[in-house]
Amino acid sequence: MISYNRTWLANLRLQAVLKVDLSKGRISDDEYKAIDAKYPVGFYTPGVFARIGLFIVTCIVVSFAFGLAAMVAGSGNIIDSPGFPIVLGIIVYSALEVMVYANKHYRSGVDDALLYASAGTFSGAVAMMFHYGYGQNNDAAIWGIIFLLALFLAVRFTDMLITALSGVSFFLFICFTWTRIIPSGAATVPFALMLVSAGAYWFTYANRSRYSNYENCFIVAQIVCLLVLYAAGNYYIIQTLGDELRGQINTPVPFGGFFWAWTIGLPFAYVGFGIKRKDTILLRTGLILIIAAALTFRNYYHILPLDVALAVLGAILLGIAWGVMKYLKTPKHGFTYAEPKDEHAMDRLKVESLLIAESFSTAPAAPTTTGTKFGGGDFGGGGSSSDF
Amino acid sequence: MRNFYDTLHNEGLISDESFEKLIADREKPLFSVHWELKTILYLGVLLLTGGLSLLIYENIDTIGHQFVLMLIAAICLGCFAYCFKIRLPFSTEKVKSSNTAFDYVLLLACTGFVIFVGYLQFEYKVFGLNYGLATLVPMLVLFFTAYFFDHLGILNLAIANLAAWMGVSVTPKQLLLNSDFDSETIIYTYLLLGVLLIIGALATQHYKYKKHFKFGYQHYGVHVTFIALLAGYFHYYSSLLCAPWMLLLFLFAFLIYRDAFKNKSFYFLLLVILYSYIGFSSIIVRLFSHNADSAAISFILMYFIGSGIGLIFLLINLNKKLKTV
Repeated sequence: MISYNRTWLANLRLQAVLKVDLSKGRISDDEYKAIDAKYPVGFYTPGVFARIGLFIVTCIVVSFAFGLAAMVAGSGNIIDSPGFPIVLGIIVYSALEVMVYANKHYRSGVDDALLYASAGTFSGAVAMMFHYGYGQNNDAAIWGIIFLLALFLAVRFTDMLITALSGVSFFLFICFTWTRIIPSGAATVPFALMLVSAGAYWFTYANRSRYSNYENCFIVAQIVCLLVLYAAGNYYIIQTLGDELRGQINTPVPFGGFFWAWTIGLPFAYVGFGIKRKDTILLRTGLILIIAAALTFRNYYHILPLDVALAVLGAILLGIAWGVMKYLKTPKHGFTYAEPKDEHAMDRLKVESLLIAESFSTAPAAPTTTGTKFGGGDFGGGGSSSDF
Repeated sequence: MRNFYDTLHNEGLISDESFEKLIADREKPLFSVHWELKTILYLGVLLLTGGLSLLIYENIDTIGHQFVLMLIAAICLGCFAYCFKIRLPFSTEKVKSSNTAFDYVLLLACTGFVIFVGYLQFEYKVFGLNYGLATLVPMLVLFFTAYFFDHLGILNLAIANLAAWMGVSVTPKQLLLNSDFDSETIIYTYLLLGVLLIIGALATQHYKYKKHFKFGYQHYGVHVTFIALLAGYFHYYSSLLCAPWMLLLFLFAFLIYRDAFKNKSFYFLLLVILYSYIGFSSIIVRLFSHNADSAAISFILMYFIGSGIGLIFLLINLNKKLKTV
């Protein structure tokens, strides 16, 4: 199924591991070279800037080609039919297959751009097919077909973004199908989504290391499942969607207590399980979702004024970080806070320095002469560039 | 994971000694929470400072400006003193930072200083209406700090300050968002700034003085110069004066192209190619847009498709060539 050469993919993984070993001095230079010669990789994979450049240029070519095609087709009525984007999609997809098969492109920017372009055109065609007029779409069919399409592309090209697309469209498909088929669908759809996403998470988690070519795809799939599992029970999302369905504002949510417990409790459960299972995905998703939980809570209850709340929260976070660092001074229970690998420190520094300049420099403000309070100074961000 | 080490060992590609090292390191993999911790630390600092400054902002009438100024000065001085104490000795080469916190503390000191000067100027008009001086002082301090403590991020801040001093802001985002390209003074200022930065980059390399700073100068210099040259071309689009701008653009592109090859930097090579492609394409579009009928438009579209495909092969070839040089 996979369009890239499997032996090369395996060799690429082998080389990635050995490169780390080489930089840590576990194997010698000669050994690495010998292994490199015995297990070669024939892909065309340039560096990151070449990849960006090739991506941009390929996008230029594709969009002008679409423009030319639209100009030719514009004289007739072809351009309104879904057949037009389908033909374009087939052309782009064929170009993609040729680039991968004949020219051995792998993550070169060219294949990325062509892959996204074909996914986009096919999805557009599907949306056109099931669009019957203003506000009248067969959403279930649209997202179902996009899911199958994205799944196929993800399986064939192991791309992370496409995997995310297929995950999201899968859950949208479930959502729309459920509300369409089940009579009291709107009230029960959160529970259906919870069950399905929990099941999907379990499935992706259990199979995460079974298909070594798809490791990244399974990581993305797990993240999508975890996020949907949380969103399915988030109080704010439930209320907003409920309001939209009923056409009223700020109606209380049935089973409010349950959804509040879900909103606040689930992120901590993620973090807890993440620590227990030493699972980075659970841990990081949980940490991000704690922010979502805090924002949801603040949206409904204003206990402290914003400035005090921010300062207190910041102090608590610093306290936690300090405590963890103190606790892990010597690694305990298999945890450490030392940096995992340091071979890219130099590259990071450069990117970081650009980020600093981006986030700290603003155009000099024009002087104003009013009032004691100065106008909208933004010296709140006294930190440094964000660590990714 | 273990299996392929065994295979490689059996095939004789890994010696016994290395094999034992590999196995020993694989035995006890530690779970690192480094990035999580760093993010929490960063968020904590951001929220705490944000909250406190908001608190002060809300209560400025009761707290008073002197107190705020003193607070900022104290933070700034404290951070500078800390960095001065733990810094490693100065060298014209790259100096490693003393510990993880060093870079961030120094950054805090510098932003504190910039805010302090800005505050003084805003509230008490220390420099009067002499805004040039008000931006010159922080700029000089930032440049000095960047070189003295060897901090790339602060060098970038200093460059941005240099641009502010010259009356423009240099970060690409703002350059595109809130700049008025249609004024001669601004175009010439940009051009001068860009040329200055390029000279700075070349001098850094030539005199081997903090060679790793070259990237910072060159990055901004290349962007600013190319954008200024293109802006100049479009500003004088309807007159004959546009020709020298385009010629200068290609000359500049050629110089940077050679420099990029010499230093094996694909990033700058890519910039040269993309900017000169914009220049070249604008000439082509100009040639065919005299009589804007559908034939001309299709020709322009076909030009972009063809030249784009050509560009792909050019980039692939250059990338190969750069690796073998």
